[in-house]
Amino acid sequence: MSDEIKPDLELDLKGLLCPLPMVKVSQRIKDVPVGGVIRAVATDPGAMADIPAWAKSTGNEVVSAGKVGGEFVFLVKRVK
Amino acid sequence: MADATTTEATELATLAGVIDKKMTRQLKQYLDLCARCAICKDACHQYVATQDVKYLPAYRAELIRRIYKKYFDKTGRFVPALYEGRDPDENLLDELYETTYACTGCRRCMYFCPFSIDTQFILSVAKAMLIAAGRGNEMLGQLADAAIFKGDNMEMFHDVIVDGFKDVEKEVQEITGDPTAEIPVDKQGADILYVALAGAHSIRPAAVIFHEAKESWTLSLFEAANYGFFFGDPVKARKIADRFMDEAVRLGVKEVVITECGHAYRVAEIFHEAWAGKKHPFKVTHVLEKIDAYIKDGRIKVSKAIELPITYHDPCQIGRNGGIFEQPRDIVKAISKDFRDMTPNRQEQWCCGGGGGIVAIDEMNEFRLKSGMKKVEQIRATGAKIVASPCENCRLQMEGLDEVHQLGVRIAAIMDLVVESMPLKGRDAAKV
Amino acid sequence: METYLQITSVWGVYLSIAVFVAGMAWRIWEWSTTPRSPIPLGMFPKPRTGTGRFFKMLKDTFIAPQSFRIEPWMWLAAMAFHIAALGAFVGHLRLIHEFPFLPSLLGEAGMNTFAAWSGSIAGVLMLGAILFWIARRTTGPYKTISVPEDYLLLALLFGVVIMGDHMRFVYGSIVHAATYREWFLSLLAFKPAFPVELTSSNVAFSLGTHMLFVDLFLIYFPFSKLVHTVGALASNYVRSE
Repeated sequence: MSDEIKPDLELDLKGLLCPLPMVKVSQRIKDVPVGGVIRAVATDPGAMADIPAWAKSTGNEVVSAGKVGGEFVFLVKRVK
Repeated sequence: MADATTTEATELATLAGVIDKKMTRQLKQYLDLCARCAICKDACHQYVATQDVKYLPAYRAELIRRIYKKYFDKTGRFVPALYEGRDPDENLLDELYETTYACTGCRRCMYFCPFSIDTQFILSVAKAMLIAAGRGNEMLGQLADAAIFKGDNMEMFHDVIVDGFKDVEKEVQEITGDPTAEIPVDKQGADILYVALAGAHSIRPAAVIFHEAKESWTLSLFEAANYGFFFGDPVKARKIADRFMDEAVRLGVKEVVITECGHAYRVAEIFHEAWAGKKHPFKVTHVLEKIDAYIKDGRIKVSKAIELPITYHDPCQIGRNGGIFEQPRDIVKAISKDFRDMTPNRQEQWCCGGGGGIVAIDEMNEFRLKSGMKKVEQIRATGAKIVASPCENCRLQMEGLDEVHQLGVRIAAIMDLVVESMPLKGRDAAKV
Repeated sequence: METYLQITSVWGVYLSIAVFVAGMAWRIWEWSTTPRSPIPLGMFPKPRTGTGRFFKMLKDTFIAPQSFRIEPWMWLAAMAFHIAALGAFVGHLRLIHEFPFLPSLLGEAGMNTFAAWSGSIAGVLMLGAILFWIARRTTGPYKTISVPEDYLLLALLFGVVIMGDHMRFVYGSIVHAATYREWFLSLLAFKPAFPVELTSSNVAFSLGTHMLFVDLFLIYFPFSKLVHTVGALASNYVRSE
């Protein structure tokens, strides 16, 4: 299902150490319009908790988060 | 019109009131004493690199002092002009934002000040004022809130986090060649609670070392990093640290061991008891203190495997502000053949420019890299090819400096270097 | 001239000493009644013992070795000024009582020569340091961070020292300590009177103006950054908490 969503911005966060993936998503969310989606790919497992926690506390939405191979793929929607 | 003026005056007075709310004897003395001799000017890496007065430590503090003089100092209220007393108006808040969130809190200025004035402490009031004005740094605030959210809703994240640990555990088993090697979580009665960063890089080497040292340990579900501290809100900062402090109490550990992170160590060791208003029923140590002891007690074996010239950068929050100078050096000397200290070092070490949360502030990137000029000179002068430093922010900053200035150095965490210097069955077999 | 002396060198002295003592007491009371920061603000390395901490406080306050390392010239000016000011203060104690031993050792003429030399050196050093500070404060980043208080204090100090030096270098060989002592002891006895040697010559103007600046300086002292004279001990003590 998540494959149907076309992201407005692709973020390559591979190799970044936590909490940097969360920092980057947080910094770049302003670059997509409200309702827009960022697709972020990280390799640090810490991101699996960090990015959803950031989204919840800032009122944004993680549309999907999952492990693909050795990578963690997130679809984050800007809500406000 | 008159009404608007009155409202504005009330708002300004409320903002200025933050100083009064935060008033302590030390703050009052710092505000009363400064002679504006500006001896601190060349202590600050940011001022030295930019020659911009707004980064001169005494000037940063002066912004708060001018509000204090106008509103709270008896003489200042009588003749504000004598002290250029000011309102916390838009212009001043703009200036305050830039000078305050740029400050890395290294306290090198305090070290050289003849009155030992703690500029970082004065700027903690500036941050409180900015937050009260709704001008706290948004990024740092968000990161702090995310950390608190994670703490308040652990049931939501517990399994995901532990899953992540399992991945790291497999790697640890491969490296050590021991399929029983584990990353214990929630282990009641362990001696040590190890508090890492969210990233696996801060867990993997420590887990290898703890395993080899046969340590009784358990890994915290929470990361040590504290964006509440950088944001400048002691309530948030305390909540973030409480997450693992409460965990330590719950598990009944004897010792909380903080990973290679500067501010997290200072928060845990120096600030948290004061914030919480009670003594910890356990010790707080830095992971390098433990590793140094393991090496000296023969609990882990290391060899002088590092041939390249190596230097050590004291993170400000671990050295000057945390009191750990020798253990990291002893570790590096034990695993390398050519150790070269920087000049100056230890308590006079230059700040790398990456502290205080500035690495998370996008709009300050260019300035931050520019402010690392002194560190670049220092690293070059040693001729070292590896720079070891036990602080995530320091390493991020120095990696940036390495890239911009083509230093050709490897920036490394000390734990990683230790693991590289240990005889480890799994990894060594893989090499052959 | 009599009125000028009455104002600056009688009533001004009483007033300024009263304001100075009350002001400093108020300032120290204000500090001591403000609650301490619960957060320890010390830095490392720090002494392990209480005694060590006490001596480190004295060293950091009176020698400030770190400040020397970072800016030797500023340190030198500050040291020269403070030591000379202390020397001048000790010298001024002759206004109350002649030093024991020294006159009998040096003879009266020898004592006056000694005082002339030591007073002159102190006076010149202080003047030099003040001029250095004025030059520094009116240039570059120092100028930007300065506020009127800084200039006011330098102006008052300059007035005190230049008039003191004037008395030392112009009238030093004519009017000696004993004459000033007569005036000062009369103040202490609350029976102010001026010896004829003071009122009959132009030294009256120098003394009056010296005292004018001294009065203003002492009155402003407790309300200015000069409270660092006392406060630096406290803040340097916090350094190793």
